[in-house]
Amino acid sequence: MAAELPSGPKIPQRPAAKRENPALDNLLRFGKYFITRVISLSITLVIAVYLTVLVANMGGAVDQIREGQIRERIGLMALADPEIMRMPVEDRRAMEEELVRLEMSRYGLDRPFIVRSFGYLTRAMTLNLGRAEYLTSDSGSNQVKLIILERLPTTLLLMMSSFLLIFFISLYFALYLSRHYGSFMDRAVIALAPVSSGPAWFYGIFLIMFFAAVIGIMPFGGMVKAPPPTQWFRYALSVLHHMTLPVIAVFCSSLFIAVYSRRTFFLIYSTEDYVEMAKAKGLSPRAIERRYILRPTLPPIITQFALALIGQWQGAYILETVFNWPGLGLVMLEAINMYDTPVIVANSVIFGYLLAFTVFILDIIYAIIDPRVKVGSEEGRL
Amino acid sequence: MEKNKKIFNVKDLCLYFQTKRGPVQAVDQVSFSLVCGRTIVFVGESGCGKTSLARAILRLLPRNVHTYSGKVFLNSINIMALKEEVFRKEIRWVKAAMVPQAAMNALNPVIKVEEQIAEPLLVHDLVQTKDEAHKRVVEACRLVGLPLDFLGRYPFELSGGMRQRAAIAMALAAKPDLVVLDEPTSALDLLTQANIMNVLKRIKKETGITFILITHDIGTSSELADDAAVMYAGQIVEKSDAAHFFTEPLHPYAEKLMASVPTLREDKELDFIPGQPPSLLNPPSGCRFADRCHKRFDKCVYEPPFLEVKKNHWVKCWLYE
Repeated sequence: MAAELPSGPKIPQRPAAKRENPALDNLLRFGKYFITRVISLSITLVIAVYLTVLVANMGGAVDQIREGQIRERIGLMALADPEIMRMPVEDRRAMEEELVRLEMSRYGLDRPFIVRSFGYLTRAMTLNLGRAEYLTSDSGSNQVKLIILERLPTTLLLMMSSFLLIFFISLYFALYLSRHYGSFMDRAVIALAPVSSGPAWFYGIFLIMFFAAVIGIMPFGGMVKAPPPTQWFRYALSVLHHMTLPVIAVFCSSLFIAVYSRRTFFLIYSTEDYVEMAKAKGLSPRAIERRYILRPTLPPIITQFALALIGQWQGAYILETVFNWPGLGLVMLEAINMYDTPVIVANSVIFGYLLAFTVFILDIIYAIIDPRVKVGSEEGRL
Repeated sequence: MEKNKKIFNVKDLCLYFQTKRGPVQAVDQVSFSLVCGRTIVFVGESGCGKTSLARAILRLLPRNVHTYSGKVFLNSINIMALKEEVFRKEIRWVKAAMVPQAAMNALNPVIKVEEQIAEPLLVHDLVQTKDEAHKRVVEACRLVGLPLDFLGRYPFELSGGMRQRAAIAMALAAKPDLVVLDEPTSALDLLTQANIMNVLKRIKKETGITFILITHDIGTSSELADDAAVMYAGQIVEKSDAAHFFTEPLHPYAEKLMASVPTLREDKELDFIPGQPPSLLNPPSGCRFADRCHKRFDKCVYEPPFLEVKKNHWVKCWLYE
């Protein structure tokens, strides 16, 4: 060490005990970080779901609507029953009141809303989502859970495939452009960036008009042709065929802006001193890109990735409607049209879970790729 | 490497940058030569082209290069003529390394220090195995006084002085013939500066490496320099061995520059030079220092020649014609 050299400057050594078992140390710190994240995310999720419950019940005002509905039903039933109609008026009133009371306690409406709201919360959190009022799943069940589980994979298929394609294409394209700053291609992408101001469904309508109505080589919508092919690869091919237009629509609406913003991002990061040093060190351009531009910028890129993913979830509604894609967005729209509250609440809860899950995965990835996060709060100060 | 063999020679090096208002002549017709094992220091004000000179020598060019010409001989090979890929593989870091200005940010924040120091060794096949690389890294760290337990850490866990040492160790690990030190200590406090300068002096003594030191800190640089050159507005205006330069500078600019350095024992008023260096966008014809010079006379409107006034003491000034 330096201290052994006669002319070497004296450097105070760190106390050795502090780093006795760095691996275990790191693991403990990582575990702590992990648990804190789980707890804070769970609290967020509970609050979000509870708010959904409150909003869907209009803070208890829905109780009055339901009481009115029950009274109306019982009144009609009484009118239709000749035996009740023959009773004296007072008895009939008392009987109706008694029936309403029974119905109310059957639905649990006799307890105050605040008490019941926690019951709803527990059921929502445990994904005990109840039954739909009008909608049914394709297999005929009115279990909300089944309706949603049936539609989740199709939404994931469409959204994830277009999203991942855009993500990786824009990443490599942006790297290419940052290397060829000011080239024709670069300027073309900048010029095309405003194209992304239109949403995906907007392009979807034009794509359908052109490719389905005018040329007729693409389907108007749906996920698979009717009747569905029986061989699995024909089925897959048909799904692919139906996916093409929606994916292109998503491309039109987000590719250029994604490339443009990433390219600018890479341009900024490629002027960092350590990138210059990497060049002076004689690293190949590919190695510089991988280790000195991509690697340090990975945390912000992952953040962008997750935020964009969340945005995609929200954009799914209209796109799925335009392309008649049988996903969660379409179910949500149908449920809203038919006032099917359980399905609406369940959909919100599922989205809540998806978001929380995304953020959680993001946190873990962050901790793995960025040493400044991994080391945690105690030592990680600059 | 033999002693007294000219290893490093720069001829008519030019580096102009393209801007909206025309080319900026950051390095204009710079020529100098350096004997192996010696250290030359380039001094001058901010913005006089020192860092651009370093970049021109190492071919670290920004995107907006307008002109890049001249010859740079290293071990009697004109490295300016080499193709980019050959230059990368055979010259970069193997023959010529650098410690950059603001070395604080010269380390990749997400790669461990050891890996970064070892990286060029492995890339250029200077070592065959990771063990050998580790040995070389340890050797370089001892040389610069970087405690070995810092090797397994990330740069943000190191202090500024330690990061600076790591940057120097990175340059030395590959044992290059030439190291360009671009203001290696200007971001550090005085004690750390002195420490690093001592480290560099020791390395110079022990390894016989050639340094090009670029700084505006004349006081500290005199510690290390064998030769000295003054840059003004993209040109070298004076060059000599350090002993003569620091005691009796000849060029009026160099004179003023030396007079601006505070000293402890003498009771002198610090001098300064009125005005600003000329814009390198449209440098004045004739002597570029003329506008600020206290000794200017009629001839200064013409470009002065680079004259050898005494042995090995060159000045670009009409006064010594």
